[in-house]
Amino acid sequence: MVLSHYMFSPLPEKLWNRNLAAHLLDRAGFGGTPADIDSLVAMGPGKAVDSFIHADDDGDLFPKPQMLMPAERMVYKQREKAATTEEARQEIRKELGKAEYASMLELRLWWLNRMRYTAAPLQEKATLFWHGHFATSNAKVNDPYLMWQQNETLRRYALGKFPDMLKAMSRDPAMIRWLDLGQSRKDHPNENFAREVMELFSLGEGHYTEKDIQESAKAFTGYRIDYQTGYFRFQPKEFDPGTKTFFDKSGPFTGDDIIDAIVAQPQCARFIGKKLWVFFVSENPPEETISGIAELLLSNGYDIGATLATIFGSAAFYSPHVVHHQIKSPVQWIMQTTKMLEIPLPDARVLENSLSALGQVVFAPPNVKGWDGGRAWISASSLLYRYNLAAYLLSGKARILGGGNTKTAIIPLDTIAPASVRGGSDQLLDHLSLRLFNYPLQTKDRATYLTYLEKHPVPYSNDTVRDLMQIMMSTPDYQLT
Amino acid sequence: MKSPKEQSLHTRRDFLRTSVLGGALAYTVPLFLEKTFLCLDTMAAASPGQITTGKDGTILVVLQLAGGNDGINTLVPYGDDAYYKARPKIALPKADILRISDYAGLHPKLTGMHDLYSQGHLGMIQGVGYPNPNRSHFRSTEIWQTASDADRNVAEGWLGRYFDNCCQGSDPSSVGVAIGGQTPQAFTSSTPKGVAFSNPEQFRYMSEAASDPNSADMFMRQMNQPTDANHSSLSENSGGSIGMLSGPSDNDGSTVEFLQRTALGAEMSSDKILAITRKTKSTVDYPASQLGNSLNLVARLIAGGLPTRVYYVSQGGFDTHANQLPSHERLMNDLSTATSSFVQDLKAQGNFNRVLMISFSEFGRRVSENASGGTDHGAAAPLFVMGGGVKPGLYGNYPSLTDLHDGDLKFSTDFRSVYATALEKWLGAPSEMVLGKKYPLLPFI
Repeated sequence: MVLSHYMFSPLPEKLWNRNLAAHLLDRAGFGGTPADIDSLVAMGPGKAVDSFIHADDDGDLFPKPQMLMPAERMVYKQREKAATTEEARQEIRKELGKAEYASMLELRLWWLNRMRYTAAPLQEKATLFWHGHFATSNAKVNDPYLMWQQNETLRRYALGKFPDMLKAMSRDPAMIRWLDLGQSRKDHPNENFAREVMELFSLGEGHYTEKDIQESAKAFTGYRIDYQTGYFRFQPKEFDPGTKTFFDKSGPFTGDDIIDAIVAQPQCARFIGKKLWVFFVSENPPEETISGIAELLLSNGYDIGATLATIFGSAAFYSPHVVHHQIKSPVQWIMQTTKMLEIPLPDARVLENSLSALGQVVFAPPNVKGWDGGRAWISASSLLYRYNLAAYLLSGKARILGGGNTKTAIIPLDTIAPASVRGGSDQLLDHLSLRLFNYPLQTKDRATYLTYLEKHPVPYSNDTVRDLMQIMMSTPDYQLT
Repeated sequence: MKSPKEQSLHTRRDFLRTSVLGGALAYTVPLFLEKTFLCLDTMAAASPGQITTGKDGTILVVLQLAGGNDGINTLVPYGDDAYYKARPKIALPKADILRISDYAGLHPKLTGMHDLYSQGHLGMIQGVGYPNPNRSHFRSTEIWQTASDADRNVAEGWLGRYFDNCCQGSDPSSVGVAIGGQTPQAFTSSTPKGVAFSNPEQFRYMSEAASDPNSADMFMRQMNQPTDANHSSLSENSGGSIGMLSGPSDNDGSTVEFLQRTALGAEMSSDKILAITRKTKSTVDYPASQLGNSLNLVARLIAGGLPTRVYYVSQGGFDTHANQLPSHERLMNDLSTATSSFVQDLKAQGNFNRVLMISFSEFGRRVSENASGGTDHGAAAPLFVMGGGVKPGLYGNYPSLTDLHDGDLKFSTDFRSVYATALEKWLGAPSEMVLGKKYPLLPFI
């Protein structure tokens, strides 16, 4: 216990201020407005952290999206079978494809809007973390309803206990299809899931043998999808009840037994702990941080919510090496930006094109390893796209991909820069930088922005304010959180 | 013949003249340009005889046929009765085939490709694939893009690893250009390399969105200038020490520097690309298709002297499960005419001898047609190599149409041998570093 107590000593209450409250708001959630920051400041660090960890579930505000349900899919299949001509069959398949496509758009919008408007943002942020961890793509699953189910499962366990989540994911229909578990038979176990459950989901490469993979694959046989309901179904006939030898122990292990043996490895706590740290805190954690967080996870039974509470409450989380040092993911960028500008998410086409150009299409991670994050978000093309998307959101005038004939929301410039701050350059700049960056400006940057303002007459017009915001958002600084 | 040292000096002068002094960026000569020169120096030294300016380096164009091209109806085994037996509805009539050998010939619409062959510029590599073929579009594309084994998941792309190993820190448009809305996985590396755009007018800072575009553009550029290497963002604005244990000493400030570097690279690339595409016109006509537009754009960039050595273009629509004759015919026609225009254009420019184009598709299709007059996902297929440096002809053996693996052709050439050949013999790069293994080189160059 000694190490984690030392590593995660709480932030002294007297240091709590707007910058640190904004940091919590951005990292534990998706940012917000100056008013949101003020309310966190008033709470003090303890209650502020608690408001994220124990937020009320507001799932009832986000009813299930309109999707093609398993029963409807069955109807398509039956119609296809009954059709007498090839043309008719083709027509039915085309219809099904359209329904699948529409379902996927609905589902994606549903989740993004939930991230945008939920009062429990950590739950969504952690769900996004786990989505990147389990990295299942509809590109292979091809069934938005199964993807939605997985998303709900991730959400249910996002702040719960990791071993429970790992077991739930082994029974998750989208995962079963993603890693070929449905084809794993008693006489011919498929090793894909068994390999990835250790390499990608729990231990990392080099902490198991090929023999461990072959043996544990036998324990995960018989996992099936019930196509009538879209739920998990265990097929005892296809399960191999024989003896398996895994991590030097032998027995008639089930899949759950394998998962229990995996999470008992301290390496699992290190692996999960490091990933949590990289996602929520900073890249390249030093060895003692990894050990500290692993100790925490092992002592609380991999309780993710409790672990995040300790991290968010710790002085280390508010270190100057952490604050404003993370590159916003594309989703984070869009959420923070629309929240900060107090506008809804952009038009669905713009949203789809933007996430694709920026490299983070939810429900379609690029490969089994998920998104690399950090610097991998940024290329010459994606950085320019970010700058232009900001310009598009501010004025509707940047001709970004998919943006033709779309309307953008009107930015409430009177709220963002009320008349009271438009009389002087310092005043306006301080006011705007607080909203845009939640972070003090560098001296050099400040001087440049002031030069810009000094070229324009006071009181500053809406055009001047909007142009300045466009410049401020077209910077390396704005990509950081 | 100049020595490598002289060549690199020449390169450096060229680079300075064309990119910095001539461009809009004369006000800043950032540190990373120095790295670019160093890199050019190293490359010139490492591969004597090969110069890497926009005027004379070799160029690789990768052409993706997305969806799984029906290789059997592309390079047609018309001399085999088994072909006509397996495909009673969609086999192409013997008389129409553009013959290459007594056994194989090209789809009747590939006249442009056939001309290329006659002129000595087209190679056809038969039976290309990999062990344990995967028939999922997603997965098999990933395998081709990452050059991984079928049972291994690799995130980095093969071209990304080439970029990583061969040129760190240079301006991204001189590394690789992909025509399309998304960077292909082949370009993926630790940090994304190269640039991707479907239209150069999209790949620029849209300052016109501001009410005062000129000053928006000017101030944006100013805000994206690299700061001094010594400048610490922390010393100025940490808001006072929070008084805690020392944080992780991750290379502070370097994330900002990385962003600044990328932004500057983006500006330079964008300025250069726009300057070229706005003034360079093609002298030949291209088909009005996505592929035609993409190859036209690539040709203009090459003509304009962009120092890029790797281009990536794609053509979609190859997933021909049903009634494939007319749709595949359209695709073949588009492929052939667009390629012809591209070749004509490069010849007119005098750049044809610098360019190698390789086509690939994630898989071929089943030998037997299906009940819908189409073909389902298969495995091995032929691929095309084209260019002034290509030795024409058929390579490898056409896989047997009857000795099949799960109804599919068995591969005889590993696709990574094609990559290795392009890397070693065309780009002058050590293929083992990029592909992780030595693959036998092919004699098509």
